[in-house]
Amino acid sequence: MILNYIKIAFRTLRKNKGYSFLNIFGLAIGITCASLIFLWVEDELSFDSEFEKQDQVYYVPTHQEYDGEWRTFNSTPGPFAEAMKTEIPGIVKASRTKHRDLLFSVNDNAINSGGRFVDEDFITIFSLKFVEGNAKEAFNNPEAIVITQETAEQLYGKNAKAIGKVLKVDNTENYLISGVIENLPKNVTFPINWIAPFERWSGDKEWTNGYGSFFADTFVELSPEADFNDVDAQVRGLLEKKTGDSDSKAFLHSIKDWHLRAHFENGKQVGGRIDSVRLFTIIALIILLIACINFMNLSTARSEKRANEVGVRKAMGSGRTRLIFQFISEALILAFIASLVSVLFLFVLLPQFNLLIEKDLVLGLSQPFHIVFLLGITLVCGIIAGLYPAFYLSSFKPVEVLKGLKVTHGSANYIRKGLVVGQFTISIVFIICTILVYQQLQHIKNRDLGFDKDQLISLNVNGTMIQKFDVIKQDLIQTGAVSSVGLNNSGILNGGNNGSNLTWTGGTNTEDVLIFFRYISSDFLETAGMELVEGRGFYENMAKDSTSVLITESFAKLMGQGSAIGKKIDRGDVYTVVGVVKDYLFDDMYGQSDPVMFFNYHGEASYMYLKTNPKIGTSDVLSKIEAVMKKHNPAFPFEYSFVDDAFNAKFKSEQLVGKLSQLFALLAILISCLGLFGLAAYTAEQRSKEIGVRKVLGASVSGIVKLLSKDFLKLVGLAIVIAIPVAWYVMDNWLGNYAYRIEINGWIFVIAGIVAIVIAMVTVSFQAIKAAIANPVDSLKTE
Amino acid sequence: MQNILVSLNEATRTVNSGSNKVTLLDNINFNVEEGEFISLMGPSGSGKSTLLNCIGMLDNFTGGGYTFLGEPVHSMKEKNRSKLYKEYIGFVFQAYHLIDELTVYENIETPLLYKNVKSSERKAMVADMLDRFNIVGKKDLFPIQLSGGQQQLVGIARALIGQPKLILADEPTGNLNSKQSEEIMELFAQLNKEGVTIIQATHSESNAAYGSRIINLLDGKIV
Repeated sequence: MILNYIKIAFRTLRKNKGYSFLNIFGLAIGITCASLIFLWVEDELSFDSEFEKQDQVYYVPTHQEYDGEWRTFNSTPGPFAEAMKTEIPGIVKASRTKHRDLLFSVNDNAINSGGRFVDEDFITIFSLKFVEGNAKEAFNNPEAIVITQETAEQLYGKNAKAIGKVLKVDNTENYLISGVIENLPKNVTFPINWIAPFERWSGDKEWTNGYGSFFADTFVELSPEADFNDVDAQVRGLLEKKTGDSDSKAFLHSIKDWHLRAHFENGKQVGGRIDSVRLFTIIALIILLIACINFMNLSTARSEKRANEVGVRKAMGSGRTRLIFQFISEALILAFIASLVSVLFLFVLLPQFNLLIEKDLVLGLSQPFHIVFLLGITLVCGIIAGLYPAFYLSSFKPVEVLKGLKVTHGSANYIRKGLVVGQFTISIVFIICTILVYQQLQHIKNRDLGFDKDQLISLNVNGTMIQKFDVIKQDLIQTGAVSSVGLNNSGILNGGNNGSNLTWTGGTNTEDVLIFFRYISSDFLETAGMELVEGRGFYENMAKDSTSVLITESFAKLMGQGSAIGKKIDRGDVYTVVGVVKDYLFDDMYGQSDPVMFFNYHGEASYMYLKTNPKIGTSDVLSKIEAVMKKHNPAFPFEYSFVDDAFNAKFKSEQLVGKLSQLFALLAILISCLGLFGLAAYTAEQRSKEIGVRKVLGASVSGIVKLLSKDFLKLVGLAIVIAIPVAWYVMDNWLGNYAYRIEINGWIFVIAGIVAIVIAMVTVSFQAIKAAIANPVDSLKTE
Repeated sequence: MQNILVSLNEATRTVNSGSNKVTLLDNINFNVEEGEFISLMGPSGSGKSTLLNCIGMLDNFTGGGYTFLGEPVHSMKEKNRSKLYKEYIGFVFQAYHLIDELTVYENIETPLLYKNVKSSERKAMVADMLDRFNIVGKKDLFPIQLSGGQQQLVGIARALIGQPKLILADEPTGNLNSKQSEEIMELFAQLNKEGVTIIQATHSESNAAYGSRIINLLDGKIV
């Protein structure tokens, strides 16, 4: 019996090639799309999931209150880890950590490598597996360092033993390799290439031992029996007790949430990447649904062709259940073929998709889970797509259809129209969203930043760059490739160093305001293209500015009416404002400019900024800078980044949403058009006799095209009417996430509507014209 | 005394067409005995096809009694009724109604699938039937590759494969030329001799003459 169904399904497919193509192709695109999204979702969900203690490992960030609002920070004070471990019974392990990039050199081979200074507990918290050495003895030596297999290979080559070797770090210190661990999984929130004892870093830094500085990333492990809520409450209380300050609360952040739910607002967890994951899962399901709708439409449109068969089979003794079963198995077979085609598509498209989303997803067809999932999608699609046609087709009465009566459409007709409207509604919503996401992105990117991010190169300060700053600057400018050089202790786009408890003239409740501190060299403002609104800039001689500060406009506003010049700020030491700088954006590109205070001191700078000459080609500029850096700072590899690249990287998730919504809008429209195309073909076929008669009676080709297109355009029109409020609602919500946002403009809806109509017209008119120019004799003869 | 296969007692069929009640079949009374070959005659619209469909249980009488092999069909549930006709009745259509996507062999086999006959048995039965109708060489062809007469031959083979007690043929030669018609009617006569009960609806006097009894219909009544 089943064989019989399969046979007939294949013959039906072969006989109706166009129809089969539309169905399979549409469904294949849908499945491909959904598979791409699900692969991405799987990748997102896999973050940190390979660590063993999923229910016990937590990160300890802090909420801190400023000006009535809670902000969330990653760091905790140094002694807090040990305090939690000893004073809270549920916490069995704790480790302070500090991330650092170190320069490892072996002979001529030097690599910059990110890793962490950690306490010994770190090894067991993350169940790190040793390939060489062992966990117990790894940190016995204060000069120890444990590196990953990958790092070991980079340094010493494949299969070479690394343990016991002395590693030169930053060209100054020696570390003893005490172990080699397996590489961490690909997707981890806190990647490391090495770990070394925490004391090696904290050493004589007195300030790391008190509760005054928040600087460490702290990880803890709970005992398996511990109650999360109980321990979390104790952690919150403990930091308050230790600091004596109710404005700082540490809390537990589960390893399961590190990647997906790491966004906090006013002390509450409010999602994060999980929102994108959810959004795209929904989109994947919608696209699958559109593809299934296609299938339903085309199947029921063809009902007249199948009606006879249904009649005969019923007369031969087939019950309705068997027919339903037959039609569903046909749909399943189609879906199965479609999923095979989609696997082909996936092979071709996955590399492109990876480029687009900057990931390294693999199809992994050898993984049973992927196979089962794909089969699952296929099965669900087949059943959803086949169910309605099956019930509809099997409901025909044999007497009626065998007599050659036309199938009375009734409900099916309405449902079919409804489905077309549904498809187009979704497509139009996609179009509108795509335009708005794009606009919002452009809007933010074109925002006045308060500095000039173009032609700006950033170097990490290392080695002797600060000591030799003046010579380096001179040599750089002499090359002609660089017009200005400035130092800063913090990245220009980053939040960085900040604090509160300041007082100043003209302000009230000033203690609560969070102020950002920047230690810069005198020409940093010029280099970054920041504008001095009032007063003077810094002197080249920093000693002359030891009590002067520059502030931004938003800070000046906090100082009340009148010029801020000459006003005093008390931050333990008292400073005088000598100049006001135009507000500039950092950290949150969607938010407001926070108040900033600049000091003329570059002794602890972390970044060197170079403004380059736009008239010289990029590669030329870089090679000239490299030559200078090699000369003055030869021990370190020349590494640089462009500020505008870093700026663009800040919009990664928005850009991803933008790119993907473009892609999926396109595909949704394509699938919908395939459906419409098929539907138009069958309508034309159904009405061929009517068209023949009309032509004989003198109707013109254009009149008939109009007649055939009109019905479809009405449907698209209806779809536009439904789509506009839906799109408006969705996008207004989305834009609500951004303080700096565009207003939704009416003409976008007009454009989306016109696009939809034009696309539908093109699709339908092809069939309509074909039907209209056919010779009426052919269509009339068939009866 | 022959077995009574079909017994109609004041069987009536009315339909609502708009606000009018139209009587398609009006108080039909007759019995069909096993082994009979009945020809229903009458002009277009006289109710021949409706009567055949109702006897074949594809359609229902709306009034009166209908017993098939002693079982009261009019009071049966749809499921039992379908079981009954699957078991005992074969249909032959004017337009053949073969399934285009199936070969000759598969078309003939279809009713057996619905009766859940085992594969090996099916093979033997279909082979027998192909042999009997001399169409073994055509078993892998699709209906579209056959002439009308050949298609109807397949249609009859399909109707017979389930070994029904009753064959209902609605204008079986309506789409055929006279030579083909004659062959088909000869075949019916032959089958009837072998014991199959046949009811055919026809326009043609000469076709009707093959039957053992003629029932004339006009406007839904037996005349």
